[in-house]
Amino acid sequence: MAKKKDGEKSLHNSEGNKQDKSESNDEEPNFSDPEGFVDNISDEELLGDLLKQKPRETDGVESVIVVDGVPQVGPERLEKLTTVINKIFSKFGTIVNEYYPTNENGQTKGYIFLEYSSPKHAQEAVKLANNHKLDRQHTFLVNLFTDFKKHEDVPDEWEPPQPQPYVDQGNLHYYMLDPDAYDQYCTVTGGGSTVQIWQNTSPDPTNLEERARWSETYVRWSPLGSYLATFHKKGVALWGGPKFNQKMRFTYPGVQFIDFSPCEKYLVTYSPHADDHPNDTKRLIIWDVRTGIEKRNFSSDGPAIWPIFRWSQDDRFFARIGTDVLSVYETPSFGLLDKKSVKIPGIRDFSWSPTDNVLAYWVAEDKDVPARVTLLEIPSRIEIRAKNLFSVADCKMHWQKSGDYLCVNVNRYSKIIRKEKNEVKYSGMYYNFEIFHMREKQIPVDSVEIKEAIHAFAWEPVGFKFAIIHGEGPNISVSFYGVTTGQTPTLLRRFEKKACNSLFWSPSGQFIVLAGLHNLQGTLEFVDTNDFSIMNSTEHFSCSDVEWDPTGRYVVTVVSCWKAKVDTGFWIWSFQGKILKRFNSESFCALQWRPRLQSLLSQKQQQEIRKNLKKYSAQFESKDRMRLSRASKELIEKRAKLMKEFQEYRAKRLEQWHKEKTRRLELRNNIDTDELDSDTKNVEEEVVEFFIKEEVTVIS
Amino acid sequence: MKPLILHGHERSITQIKYNREGDLLFSSSKDQYPNVWYSLNGERLGTFDGHQGAVWAIDVNWDTTRFMSGAADQSLRIWDCATGFQIGKIENSSSVRSCNFSYSANMAAYSTDTHLGKHCEILIIDVRNADDSIEKVQPILRIPITGPKVTSMLWGTLDKTIITGHENGELTQWDLRIGKTERSNIDHVGSINDMQMSKDGTMFITASKDKTAKLFDMDSLECLKTYQTERPVNSAAISPLFDHVVLGGGQDAMDVTTTSTRIGKFDSRFFHLVFEEEFGRVKGHFGPINSVAFHPDGKSYSSGGEDGYVRIHNFDPAYFEFNFDCQ
Repeated sequence: MAKKKDGEKSLHNSEGNKQDKSESNDEEPNFSDPEGFVDNISDEELLGDLLKQKPRETDGVESVIVVDGVPQVGPERLEKLTTVINKIFSKFGTIVNEYYPTNENGQTKGYIFLEYSSPKHAQEAVKLANNHKLDRQHTFLVNLFTDFKKHEDVPDEWEPPQPQPYVDQGNLHYYMLDPDAYDQYCTVTGGGSTVQIWQNTSPDPTNLEERARWSETYVRWSPLGSYLATFHKKGVALWGGPKFNQKMRFTYPGVQFIDFSPCEKYLVTYSPHADDHPNDTKRLIIWDVRTGIEKRNFSSDGPAIWPIFRWSQDDRFFARIGTDVLSVYETPSFGLLDKKSVKIPGIRDFSWSPTDNVLAYWVAEDKDVPARVTLLEIPSRIEIRAKNLFSVADCKMHWQKSGDYLCVNVNRYSKIIRKEKNEVKYSGMYYNFEIFHMREKQIPVDSVEIKEAIHAFAWEPVGFKFAIIHGEGPNISVSFYGVTTGQTPTLLRRFEKKACNSLFWSPSGQFIVLAGLHNLQGTLEFVDTNDFSIMNSTEHFSCSDVEWDPTGRYVVTVVSCWKAKVDTGFWIWSFQGKILKRFNSESFCALQWRPRLQSLLSQKQQQEIRKNLKKYSAQFESKDRMRLSRASKELIEKRAKLMKEFQEYRAKRLEQWHKEKTRRLELRNNIDTDELDSDTKNVEEEVVEFFIKEEVTVIS
Repeated sequence: MKPLILHGHERSITQIKYNREGDLLFSSSKDQYPNVWYSLNGERLGTFDGHQGAVWAIDVNWDTTRFMSGAADQSLRIWDCATGFQIGKIENSSSVRSCNFSYSANMAAYSTDTHLGKHCEILIIDVRNADDSIEKVQPILRIPITGPKVTSMLWGTLDKTIITGHENGELTQWDLRIGKTERSNIDHVGSINDMQMSKDGTMFITASKDKTAKLFDMDSLECLKTYQTERPVNSAAISPLFDHVVLGGGQDAMDVTTTSTRIGKFDSRFFHLVFEEEFGRVKGHFGPINSVAFHPDGKSYSSGGEDGYVRIHNFDPAYFEFNFDCQ
């Protein structure tokens, strides 16, 4: 505990300040009790948490800044210098102390010390006045006084870091080796704290792991399924392996959003609340997943749409959008690609191709310049295709999963009404879908026009179809279009008057669930798009989410307690819409399937399997039958056991009951009421007759 | 088969009870007139007129000579079954929440509500010679309850004990000779809305707001089985014929307006007594079910709901043929 005086002294004696400081640290404050007093518990132990909050005197060192690069002047011009300095630095707060070291001639040495009334002001001054150009020769270099110690401790010789011993992480994709290809999923219950890992075994799922307080808000699988990320006050943790051990920890308080790069090499974390880091601007951090090292941090300005950074498919590049600029960074250097951002005036949105290092962005209309969708190849920055569009209100870009097509959903207007305050209102909306054929020469673009409002759009993940929900309620239609090489998209089928607002394609294509979530109360329709037959029409009341398993065999519908109050839980359906299991649990939050790696089988091998499906399916069916019969056998055994136990209990109980018979008779005037017909002599037969009203109605 | 729908009440049904033979069905509701019906055809036999508030609880003695009702007008009334005339009346300082004749019907027990500074009380009265003077006769026993109030009650084996279910889910067995708690447990976490005995009186089933019904041993209060649902259970009954129980309930009346009837789940639900597995549901009510009762022969059952209807259901032949695989 240094006293304020020490701080001031050290200021006036800059040469010896280091010694002073160390001296003051060595001084032991006198905490001793009066003589004879014995205390075996320290206050620290008793009130540790309270003492931390105790206001304390500081020596003021935190409020001191050192300014270098100040003009060296003689005593005659010192006054003028102080005026200039004061003018610049009093902007950041009240200067309570200043010191201009001079040499024996009275000439200032070119660096000065300033003390503010609070450390906050000092930090502000460092942040804003550093590199301030006073004139051509003089640039201020401003540092915190406390930073000096830090800088002094840098060793002169660079020591190469010791290589860390290699730690075998085990097989993170062990779950892919499951002989029955059962998928895993995790569920979050208890308002976001309890996490369970399930294996979707047949006929009943198995609980593999359940931990209370595993996470504080929610959880996320990494994109390849290797890790489960949990959120904590102190940061993010990754778990993996068969036992779900902790694999990595990223310590940074207040993280609320995370995003993995597609190959799981990097993790982006974002702490949106400034309160957690009052003096810290690095709220957006990119970490290396394998080593846990912070790769780069960014200050995020203003609200942004998550993810702020979007990654190219191979983790080589990531990009973010700014005002009139697109910043593309490269890994592993984490610097800007070609050291500068791409200037794109009026850029509104961009999106990476899921299979190539190509990104698409669109630029809004500006007076006479039309709106424009551009495909940009990275890192060459070659525009491989651009298309001008007129009367554009908004665009949305949808890549097909295999990267073969890009669909740009263009909202167009026929009239524009400009209001005050730059508010713009569009009227006479109509909608275009611009389909870019990425795999064809020169990337031809086709266009589909729909006059009605669009509610949802979704590509078939594998295949050539896309589905659109459009129209005004209650006349909502679902249209399916097919895209083929060198041809305009054709309308394959249109379902009219459907109650749905969301589309969920099976990850393997062909099957789609049309769902009416939220205000449509959970209607579900399972459609086979090969022949456009509706396989089942059903509902899961107040359903808030639909999740396909990664293989496209199962569909899970979820009622989350974040959205609904009653009947929270999840139901598992087959892809044909047959209900398999219902799990209702209170305070159920969310379910996520564990992602699977891509199949290692070649296209040809997969076709081979498809051809011989009959042969395989017979095997699987017999396996399923065996499992079912085993399960029903188990159930019957369980019931038999329960029944036996209960009968034993009853036998004992009835024996006692029979013993009590005399007492029972006494209580009821010796009339036996044990059975309905046990007391025959007191019963009078009564014949009851009813008149039944008969009506004859002649149907003409 | 189509149920008989008894429409004789103007407000929600609070309790229904068969007499021992099962030829009569008694019902009470939040209107002031308990009714009695022929269970066979649903014809109304008569009403018991006199109460001036919602009738919360009713009971009929074993030989169907006396009928008892407790109401929000703070009175407990005893009626002559055959004529419908009031025999006696006891005024209390708060509403009567539950009332039961003992096995011998020499005694009756009833409980009052905690209300405006008045404590809940259990009272045991002699009803052998009930008449106008019954109000002036001191009760045999008066047990003041300081904790959570009594919401349901049963007589224990051979008139020696009573069992009370409380608002916090507690079950208490009282020894009437000394007027003290003999044993208690707290298996439920919500108000125990209803308790009904098995035919032989060795077990009873509780229905609780905590969305479960539980089966207990009458003497040891040991919890034998639990029947889980996802809605508050208002009433539960044990079949006298099969190892079946029926549960009635549904979303709380006050929450119903915010949700559709589809998810209110106002079905009677049938569970296997031993396996705790649900095997059937009966739809019909468009509000929560407040009371269910099996006919003493087990061939039909009735339910009374918040919608004001009593429905008598005769079981289809399929019900009697239905068998659980357990061999």
